[in-house]
Amino acid sequence: MGFFDKLTGWLGLKKKEVHLLCLGLDNSGKTTIINKLKPSNAQAQDIVPTIGFSVEKFKTSSLLFTVFDMSGQGRYRNLWEHYYKEGQAIIFVTDSSDKLRMIVAKEELETLLNHPDIKHRRIPILFFANKMDLRDALSSVKVSQLLSLENIKDKPWHICASNGLTGDGLQEGVDWLQDQIQVMKT
Amino acid sequence: MTSSHGAGRGAQQRGDEREPVSVERSNEANSKWLDAHYDPVANLYTFSSCTALVDLHRDGEVKLVVGDLGTGLYNMKLKVYKGTSLMTENALLDLPTGVVTFLMDQNEPRTPAVAVASGPYIYVYKNLRPYFKFTLPALDVNLLEQDVWNQARQDMIDPMTLKEMLEGIRDKADIPLSVRSLRFLMLEQEEMESFVNLHKHHPIKRQTVITCMGTLKKNMADEDAVSCLVIGTENAEVLIIDPEAFTILSKMSLPSVPAFLDVIGQYDVEFRITLACRNGSLYVLRRDSKRPKYCIELSSQPVGLVRVQKNIVVGCSEETLHAYTQKGKKLWTVYLPASITTMSLLDQKSRGFQAVMVGLANLEVHLYRDKNLLNIIRTPDVVTSVCFGRYGREDNTLIMTTKGGGLIIKILKRTAVFEEKDTSPGPPLAQGVKLSVPKKTKLYVDQTLRERENAVAMHRIFQADLYRLRLMASRAYVKALEGSVAPVSSVQQEPLQMNAVVQGIGPKFKLTLNIQNTSVNRPSIHLLISFLYDEHLYSMKNSFFKVPLLVPGLNYPIETFVDCLSDKGISDLIKVFVLREGKSAPLLTAHINMPVSEGLAAA
Ligand SMILES: Nc1nc2c(ncn2[C@@H]2O[C@H](COP(=O)(O)OP(=O)(O)O)[C@@H](O)[C@H]2O)c(=O)[nH]1
Ligand SMILES: [Mg+2]
Repeated sequence: MGFFDKLTGWLGLKKKEVHLLCLGLDNSGKTTIINKLKPSNAQAQDIVPTIGFSVEKFKTSSLLFTVFDMSGQGRYRNLWEHYYKEGQAIIFVTDSSDKLRMIVAKEELETLLNHPDIKHRRIPILFFANKMDLRDALSSVKVSQLLSLENIKDKPWHICASNGLTGDGLQEGVDWLQDQIQVMKT
Repeated sequence: MTSSHGAGRGAQQRGDEREPVSVERSNEANSKWLDAHYDPVANLYTFSSCTALVDLHRDGEVKLVVGDLGTGLYNMKLKVYKGTSLMTENALLDLPTGVVTFLMDQNEPRTPAVAVASGPYIYVYKNLRPYFKFTLPALDVNLLEQDVWNQARQDMIDPMTLKEMLEGIRDKADIPLSVRSLRFLMLEQEEMESFVNLHKHHPIKRQTVITCMGTLKKNMADEDAVSCLVIGTENAEVLIIDPEAFTILSKMSLPSVPAFLDVIGQYDVEFRITLACRNGSLYVLRRDSKRPKYCIELSSQPVGLVRVQKNIVVGCSEETLHAYTQKGKKLWTVYLPASITTMSLLDQKSRGFQAVMVGLANLEVHLYRDKNLLNIIRTPDVVTSVCFGRYGREDNTLIMTTKGGGLIIKILKRTAVFEEKDTSPGPPLAQGVKLSVPKKTKLYVDQTLRERENAVAMHRIFQADLYRLRLMASRAYVKALEGSVAPVSSVQQEPLQMNAVVQGIGPKFKLTLNIQNTSVNRPSIHLLISFLYDEHLYSMKNSFFKVPLLVPGLNYPIETFVDCLSDKGISDLIKVFVLREGKSAPLLTAHINMPVSEGLAAA
């Protein structure tokens, strides 16, 4: 049983593929979360934090995942922005215990939302306020405030607190995303 | 599903709602900085030399280490910040004068140590636990002073005699007195006895203290190479200390007490230590030299020192920033709008960009690249320490503490690029553009040759013409002065008559000029009076004034006062000119022979 069973079943019937972008600052927990979402036989065991620019790509029967860090200076920006075009849904992961960089995540989100390949498309965005288990983590409400999510008016979005290590909160987010994708595809 | 969902629809909300992260939003929309954190009451009192950024736990999360000066008397602490919050603190016994982090050895795991300089000690912490305490070697004691205290111990002299003898030694000896004796000399008489009894049984010691500290790579240039400690002391010495054995590897002396230092190079290969000293000079020490190699005299006291690549930028107390090459050649000077509170280097490694950050008393932090001002950050309080680098997991983080104990953290936007033209002051960009000077023409070459061959003749002709010009000018001047010496104006349009009366015995004289318009029916207007006199002999309140309208036939007495400045019994001529506005030649001139002053000047 995987997280996306419902969607894969449904999409499988229609022979359609959905392309998901998973992004966020480095160390937010993207790799950890994606590994939890992948079918169990495909999970990687040791997860080393992604450093510099690297893109992780993998495929299940009907889902294409592209995962990358929004890290570092301008040099690599257009490398990752180049993936925006093909994304049909976005998973944006934040480390809710990293208060210092919340403003950086906000800045990156704003840049993402203003990118020509994203700006005028009604693509759903799922936010994970990850690392909710940590003692000094901010609540999902607080994270959504700090990221000014209330300003996103033309795209469906949803935020959940999550724990990438245990998988807590992931199912709720995935359920929402499946609903959105179904609406999009019909 | 149609519109967007409200924040936190079905989100897992958690009970413990936290304080809002106090972030001061920048009002400048196009600022290069993100306001990540501002805590006005962080209770952090420190200077740039007592802050360091270091990956203390080797987990990729860089911490901030601060030597907190507390109130200056109490609450001195070594504090470690993680993100926006205080992680640990250790009490310090005395004020910290420098905090650095360094790798002491090759042992795994390679966790960096923290060194805190305070008084005559360096406290070394590993994993934030006290690890080693290094004490500066004691200095030689003045033998006479020792002798006097011995006598006191044997009760051979009373406190008053002790005081007198110590004062004698203090005023003459080469070796200064110990702290104990100096303290004793400050005491009131009734406190002396108990002080002597308390201390007389202990031998006197003389100890210096550390004024500044830095690190020097031992024999490798790598980021994670082992480093020695470099310290400057109150007795004008520089010591290099081995990081493993804590022995003194090298000792150099300076003409003055160092206040700031910068180190470049490797101990075993080649190094340079630049020191800004309290005598207002910079000194550069090199390997194998016990004395400074270069000296740069500054026009005022240094208040900060930063090295940008190989150049030295020093901030001075007279609101200036000077840059020098490492050999002491001056590159530029920048005049600042306020006095400097602190200085630090901004090193944006990803772009290979380096600039100097200068905290100013007018609530601004300026960023200079060479002499160009690139960026201004306005702060809510005067900044006393500035530190830039990787913090947490973000490169290019700026950490500042304020006079009121506040903590400000800003993050440089990832898309931000500093450009030379960012703020207006400084020379325009065009100044740096090389002009394409056209090739020299034949005419130009010929002319230059001619000038070179006939230089002497040309100079002579020029001189002759110059003398002639001066002669003509003098003649015209004399003519103007003497052209109308008569006290009666003969000019048709302005028939005037004037006489002067001097009253008084001096040194103050009253001078009355009687002016009369002798025309039949034409009033005189626009007339001026001016005096010419030897300014060493006389002084007049007004030596130039306007004459009122002169009605024909009436006598106008105009009074003024003259002070004689000399008491040598000499007198001189005062010339009076009546002029017409807009004309330089006077209408009439009167020479007044002043009487000798009989009163004493300024009696
Ligand atoms: N405590 C906690 N740690 C997490 C959580 N999610 C990820 N991590 C840890 O955070 C670090 C970075 O995770 P990673 O998935 O590599 O982040 P990425 O850089 O976004 O791919 C790893 O050490 C993970 O084990 C979480 O929910 N809670
Ligand atoms: Mg990763």
